[in-house]
Amino acid sequence: MMSETQDKEGGVSRRDFLTLSAFAAAIAAGLGVLAGVIRYFRADVRYEESRSFKIGKPENFPVGSVKKLDDKKVFIFSDENGFYAISSVCTHLGCVVYSTETGFQCPCHGSKFNITGKVVGGPAPRGLPWFEITQDVDGSLVVDASREVPPGTKIRYA
Amino acid sequence: MYSRFYLSVLLISSLLFLTYMALVAFNGVMPEWKYYQLEYKDLLIKNAKDDAARKRAEAIPVKLQQIYLSAFNKEDRCTSCHIGIDNPLVANAKLPFKKHSGDYIANHPVDKFGCTVCHEGQGSATNKREAHAKGHTYWDYPTLPLSYIQSSCAKCHDFDMLSKKGGDKVAEGDRLFREKGCQGCHKINKVGGDLGKPLDGVGNQPIAYFSMKHVIGDHTVPTWLKQHFDDPRAIVPTSEMKVKLKGPESDLLTIFALTLRSDELPKAYRYKTYAQPPKQEGETLYKTFCSACHGEGTQSLYDEVLKRTIPAIMNPSFLKIADDKNLETIIKEGRNGTQMTAWKTVASGLSEDDVKSIIGYIASKRPAEAHEPFPIKDLTGDVNHGKELYAAHCAVCHGQDAKGGENLIGINLKNPTVTKMVDPEFLAVTIRDGREGTSMPPFGKEDFALNNQDIVDVVAYIRDSSKGSK
Repeated sequence: MMSETQDKEGGVSRRDFLTLSAFAAAIAAGLGVLAGVIRYFRADVRYEESRSFKIGKPENFPVGSVKKLDDKKVFIFSDENGFYAISSVCTHLGCVVYSTETGFQCPCHGSKFNITGKVVGGPAPRGLPWFEITQDVDGSLVVDASREVPPGTKIRYA
Repeated sequence: MYSRFYLSVLLISSLLFLTYMALVAFNGVMPEWKYYQLEYKDLLIKNAKDDAARKRAEAIPVKLQQIYLSAFNKEDRCTSCHIGIDNPLVANAKLPFKKHSGDYIANHPVDKFGCTVCHEGQGSATNKREAHAKGHTYWDYPTLPLSYIQSSCAKCHDFDMLSKKGGDKVAEGDRLFREKGCQGCHKINKVGGDLGKPLDGVGNQPIAYFSMKHVIGDHTVPTWLKQHFDDPRAIVPTSEMKVKLKGPESDLLTIFALTLRSDELPKAYRYKTYAQPPKQEGETLYKTFCSACHGEGTQSLYDEVLKRTIPAIMNPSFLKIADDKNLETIIKEGRNGTQMTAWKTVASGLSEDDVKSIIGYIASKRPAEAHEPFPIKDLTGDVNHGKELYAAHCAVCHGQDAKGGENLIGINLKNPTVTKMVDPEFLAVTIRDGREGTSMPPFGKEDFALNNQDIVDVVAYIRDSSKGSK
């Protein structure tokens, strides 16, 4: 057998070369298919409203200001350390909280949160989440409510 | 074993197949929008004013963009290529990167409205050919040409508001629609005549509903409408539609016709004041519902399309003898056998008040003095003498059988509505005094010099023969 499949110089015979390339092609094709299949498990887009939204230029949020965006259910804060966005949706049953001197207050079941959104009273199971703020290419701030950041993350943009 | 020929066929076909597979794979990895996004990114990096701007441009993710609008049940992926749609930095860039023109975006944010709600097209497509859907009859809603785009404004806004701000063309189209008398033949919302098709929903009817055989250029609904307004019979050979449009009016009416849609946007999006539409004056109503056939109404005219003479209904000598009651009957019941359809509420959707306003407008042209009375009660008509006189004087215009018709300038005297509604005195006075503005001469004067007895004879003949024809 060996003497048949190997030629005299000890190189690879024509038949072995073809067999090997067939296997190599099959493996390459298999990997390609696998990559394609895995790729298609990840959707490019989903049938849901985008939770990322533009809120305008940084100069619209002067240092020390608090803006409540009612339709987006989020508070936008701006202080000397930067901008941050805190959700206004109570983590208990989803009522919209209002801001008080000491933090936030939920009108429904009396949950209380401090100024960083941490629960200080009431039935709320978790603190109010902070959302990521990025800057769009035209300089507008963009809040992405699908991405939470650790409380205290403030980011400065010009 | 195998011939060289078959082996080379196998080799070539395998190579072709492999190339095809490779192209498919490459297209999957590099779709059209990715090239646009990469070019957009390069453009912004190149034009960045400072390091911060450059860094932001470099951070732009290249990914399929989608605006999902649950309220419209739409997903618009247009921004995958039109990626700078709300970016003021690319206000003067080329398409598709260019920022949206005007200040529409400020009041209609892209993430709330998407694109196809105004521009049409296939929002979920991810390449230009399918998204714009131009030149394919298999897509129902190709992108709307920008010259007709104002029709979309009327989805949410009143013509009243549009005429003042940003929607001059569509508001003008609405005005023309009423002025040109379209509703004399076409119903909208169940109001209007019966000669033409109802127009409800014409604006969003799929292309397949229109016969595109004679349409020149793009086979789209706007081109059909526009060319149909320019020359109805060029597009629909059997059409009886009368149009007297000039210049840009056909475009304006096309814009208006596109607003007649059967769908409605969610209430939260509509900015219409749902107050009662303003009450129209008699003159406007006359224009809307009557003028398409009767025109100004002072002259009778032979209509080439309808193939009959249309009476002059605002002519003083007609109004002298036709009282309001007469007018009301004619308007409400119509004239059987003619194109004059019944305008009573159940048939036309016009309200009683509207009919009264129209009569009021027509009657306002009635001369103050009444016609000279005709002593019809004192005379008895001789049918045979009347027949001779009819053949000599009347048949030339009204036809031998008195039925009017094609190429005759006289009206049909045997119409059941005429025979039922018109009293002998009316006929007699008309024969004696003629009808100003029409071809009906005063037979009691001038060369004809028929005396009252002759006239009564003719009336008797007309009445008698119409009885016989029943």
